[in-house]
Amino acid sequence: MASAYNPIYTDVPEKDVFALHFLQTLSNLRTQNSFSSPDNKTSDRVKKIKKAAYVSMARAAGATNRLWSRSLLHQAAKRNNKNVRFLRRKRRVTWLMRRRSNRGDPIEDVAAERLRNLVPGGGGMETSKLMEETAHYIKCLSMQVKVMQCLVDGLSPK
Amino acid sequence: MLEGLVSPENLSLSSMDMSVLERLKWLRQQQQKQVVSQSSDNSPELLQILQFHESNNDELLQSTFSHFQMLGSGFGPNPNMGFGPSREAMDGCISRRSSLQMDPVDTMGFMLKNSEENRTISSKNKRKSEVKRREEEKTEKKIKVAAETESNMKGKSSMSNNTEASSDTSKETSKGASEIQKLDYIHVRSRRGQATDRHSLAERARREKISKKMKYLQDIVPGCKKVTGQAGMLDEIINYVQSLQTQVEFLSMKLAVLNSELELALHAYFTNLPVVNASKPSIMVDVPLFPLDQQGSLDLSVINLSQTTSIEAPSASWETQSRSLFNTSSLGFHY
Repeated sequence: MASAYNPIYTDVPEKDVFALHFLQTLSNLRTQNSFSSPDNKTSDRVKKIKKAAYVSMARAAGATNRLWSRSLLHQAAKRNNKNVRFLRRKRRVTWLMRRRSNRGDPIEDVAAERLRNLVPGGGGMETSKLMEETAHYIKCLSMQVKVMQCLVDGLSPK
Repeated sequence: MLEGLVSPENLSLSSMDMSVLERLKWLRQQQQKQVVSQSSDNSPELLQILQFHESNNDELLQSTFSHFQMLGSGFGPNPNMGFGPSREAMDGCISRRSSLQMDPVDTMGFMLKNSEENRTISSKNKRKSEVKRREEEKTEKKIKVAAETESNMKGKSSMSNNTEASSDTSKETSKGASEIQKLDYIHVRSRRGQATDRHSLAERARREKISKKMKYLQDIVPGCKKVTGQAGMLDEIINYVQSLQTQVEFLSMKLAVLNSELELALHAYFTNLPVVNASKPSIMVDVPLFPLDQQGSLDLSVINLSQTTSIEAPSASWETQSRSLFNTSSLGFHY
């Protein structure tokens, strides 16, 4: 219906691209020594797998083209080091908050705040840009979920 | 049907020197013709008015669009290009029953203004020139005053609906026309009774952008069409994103549990295992072989450039792995 009239570019690559990236990240995880040892707690492994999933999704979806993927990769990289980027982001957020408070719509802002907390990198965006990012993020997330579901189905014993 | 309409309208519309009042007279003649032709129905009064207005809307809008097409044929690369969105606009106009004959009047007046001002046509951006905006406002109000008498004659119609619809249609038609003629000047038509200062116009443009994107989101998120209103839709979208994230977490937990199979699979995938046993097709059918698109690892092998083995190899390796899994009893659940 609106495909010809679509002003937003939300093309998401195919499932196999996501699958490839995910498998690559998982194999990188596997080569880490701490991962495959049996005395490792499951929760840590879960966290690592989750982080691997998000990172691979961000890479598969065009890493630097989208704001959410960029911020995801930054978060993943900087989690080991100190969060230097965080300070800069805060300053930008305050500037935008001032601008937004001038012409804020009370109906939208409450829900928009929640959305900003959910979508990575959403703190410094205006509402219209936020919508675009959310759309792309939703598409990529659903693709990633499909890939993981297939993986689980394929590996689980009958 | 459009071609049939173009020729009689050509005579009346081709001359751009017609004043507004002349055009109104012409419209009134048209409407009276329509009334006469449709007065034989036995339907009640309101239905008649609605039918009349709808068909009137059709014809006059099509005539205006055909006129735009004429305009655009001198400029445009592709007459169909301008027609596409205008058709969409037409559908949008027809669906609004309360938008009566004000629409074509407005577009007529709009076209008139365009001819006088070297065809500067508006689009929905933020650059404005204040002087021309005020002029347009005045002419818009004049047209509305003149046509108000007609609308009072015709029946009940809410003024705000009219202005909304007319401004929307004028914007949409102008948008369709602006695709034909690309110009620098950007005007924004203001509605009657609304402030025309810079802030509120910018605000309105911003809100329209946001609503457009909300519509796009509505198409993506399943089950969002039933809820109306922006707040409810936003809540639905937030719930959907949250559910997707929890799904990712849940699946990653499952994967962590299935860690050993995962290791074997990854090991097998990234180091090319030779073809083991391709002579047992029944097992290949039974075992769920990593089905991505019902072809599963076949796609992966196609993508992976370093792999030079045939397509049979990965599936065979999955097959061996899964058979080994079935042999060992509870390997999956110990982690």
